[in-house]
Amino acid sequence: MVEREIAHRIFAKELNDSSSTIHSTIEEAINSEGHTPNYLLTPVGTMVNRVFIVGVITEVDNVGTETDTWKARVVDPSGAFTVYAGQYQPQAAIFLSSVETPAFVSVVGKVRVYKPDAGSPIISLRPEEIHLADEAMRNCWVIDTAELTLDRIDAFSKMLSLCENDPDSCNCPENMVIPSNLSEGICLAIDNYGTGADYLNELRSVVKRCIISIDLVSSADGDKDIDVVVMELLEELDDGKGVGYMDLLSVANSRNINEKAVDSAVRSLLAKGQCYEPKIGIIRPIS
Amino acid sequence: MDKKFAPHIEELTKALGNISRSTIEDELELLLKYRVPIDEAKRSILKKFQNDSPVLKKVNDLAIGDKGIALEVRILNINEKNVNLRGNSVTIFSGALADESGLCSFTSWKALSLNPGDAVRVRNASVRAWHNRAEVSIGDRSEVELLEETYLPDISELSVTPVKKLGEVGYSDMFISSVAAVIELYHRDVNVKGKDLTIIEGVMADETSRLPFVSWSLLDGVDIGTIVRFEDASVSMYRGVPSIHLNESTSVHIVGPEEHLSFTFASVNLPPKPLPLGDVLQNEGMFDVSVEGNIVSVRPGSGVIARCPECNRVIMKNTCRSHGVVEGIRDMRIKLILDDGTGSLLVMLNRELSEIVYGKTLQESESLMGKEMSANVVYDDMKSILTGHYLGVRGNTSKVEYGVTFVAKSVWVPSEDLDMRVSVLLERLEGVE
Repeated sequence: MVEREIAHRIFAKELNDSSSTIHSTIEEAINSEGHTPNYLLTPVGTMVNRVFIVGVITEVDNVGTETDTWKARVVDPSGAFTVYAGQYQPQAAIFLSSVETPAFVSVVGKVRVYKPDAGSPIISLRPEEIHLADEAMRNCWVIDTAELTLDRIDAFSKMLSLCENDPDSCNCPENMVIPSNLSEGICLAIDNYGTGADYLNELRSVVKRCIISIDLVSSADGDKDIDVVVMELLEELDDGKGVGYMDLLSVANSRNINEKAVDSAVRSLLAKGQCYEPKIGIIRPIS
Repeated sequence: MDKKFAPHIEELTKALGNISRSTIEDELELLLKYRVPIDEAKRSILKKFQNDSPVLKKVNDLAIGDKGIALEVRILNINEKNVNLRGNSVTIFSGALADESGLCSFTSWKALSLNPGDAVRVRNASVRAWHNRAEVSIGDRSEVELLEETYLPDISELSVTPVKKLGEVGYSDMFISSVAAVIELYHRDVNVKGKDLTIIEGVMADETSRLPFVSWSLLDGVDIGTIVRFEDASVSMYRGVPSIHLNESTSVHIVGPEEHLSFTFASVNLPPKPLPLGDVLQNEGMFDVSVEGNIVSVRPGSGVIARCPECNRVIMKNTCRSHGVVEGIRDMRIKLILDDGTGSLLVMLNRELSEIVYGKTLQESESLMGKEMSANVVYDDMKSILTGHYLGVRGNTSKVEYGVTFVAKSVWVPSEDLDMRVSVLLERLEGVE
């Protein structure tokens, strides 16, 4: 019984940063009745064979010479996926030949890796399914993918902190706290990419940008400048004696504005002279 | 040793977790000296050490299909039996064994001179399916050795029926005791061996799970809403889903409101919360669970189908496998793959649910098919309408020959509480630029 490959939720950035492929081992070949999928290993240690993405299709070109081969770009908040469909994916090819860009689409596809003799490998998707989607689905997909990506990053962080004393060894017994299906990929990622805390933080901020980009956050404030939002907050909370900085932070936090943003907004408001500090830790708006 | 063999050694070390790297290197070197091709050499090393290092398992972790495992157990009971095997009369030994995690039946194909209560170490045993559950099989190549009497808990302790939450009931449980609320109950008239009986069927729940139950005795005073404490109920397995059987000899007490339990009827009589698919797949069968995910594929065989009026099988070209040419009954169904990024599962929808999900009735779908009555039109239409979309389903999973299947009882479009999830995510990303 061959298990169906999971359709991973993965941002374009994580996928396109990948270059190592994992071919199945002899042990698997012996045990799996000849069905041995190949995986692309991402820098966060995800072993990807199939993906599910929802994004915006922005370009479609016919790059075929003899027969039609369609190349499309599907964009998510972190970058773009390249999708190729030719004569062996007739339904996807028909879809791509007639789709009006830009449009929301969902793609279920297998990851393909082309390694040219020179230069970096080219990662593309071979669609099994490609269909029209809508904005709500895309937003939901971004949140799903953010959650799952963050789970992977956190597992990786945990593993790094466990193996700190001995980064070369992946056999530290504490690894048992991380499920083996994850830890194997993580070890491989450390070996292949030397992934460290820097990359994880880079990816964390990509995830954060993706979440913020779909503009679900404080949608009531639309795309107002953060300074304006904080200023309004100050006016709302001010009882004539100014606002305690801690109170401001906790209210801002409850409205999805983080500490850093508040801090920089307050500094800029102070600089602009729109508020002042009558006492340390008390901010008072000048209205 | 030559550098170029490093990846192979790496692989072998990984595969044989408990054998030291140097041992593997020496073995490989020796075989290569004999000019054995590398693939053959690797294969024989794997074979050699996998038997040397049987995995010591607890009874609770046994899975059907396990091979070469070791167990440290006490024999609870053992009987000699003569069975007819391909025309020859063979003596086998069967009974039950247990460790502190659970108990399990066993069959030995070789002579054992053991008595109930003996503590033994069994090596190189396998696990096969017998009456839908795991059974330890001791073969000619298995080894059985006696252990110190004090090595395991006493037999009286091991044969005590475990008190379990419903969510913990699994393959290794033959009898359990528990406390649960009855959330569904109905009477059924059945005919057993020529006698008409009324039995009770229903569903019990605690805070961990829900399970179907059957009672062969009329439970006086028990109805929906009752919380019962039962002892020594037998557990049977069907397609990986346990069910609880009560009869005259099972003690069943109604729990009054004065007892403080970790749940109430109201708290467990709620729709199940959606679980990650990955968690659902870890169990062979689950009763009454919810999952949410994306439809990543609508499988062939979905759409408008015809069934045999005699046996309800799906038929092709008006021909049934067992009833020849018949006038088929039209029906609609959808088989889809649901995936949430942690796992994927085949979900079956009956006509009623298919009509809801697809948004067209059977009659409307038939009119799509036009004169040629081409079912592919409906299938293609379903694919383009459904693929990629979010779907929530509630129902049972069961293990059939080609993996785990989810039979849905209700469907919905997951509600989008994105704001809440965004806040949680931003909290996790606190301090990230």
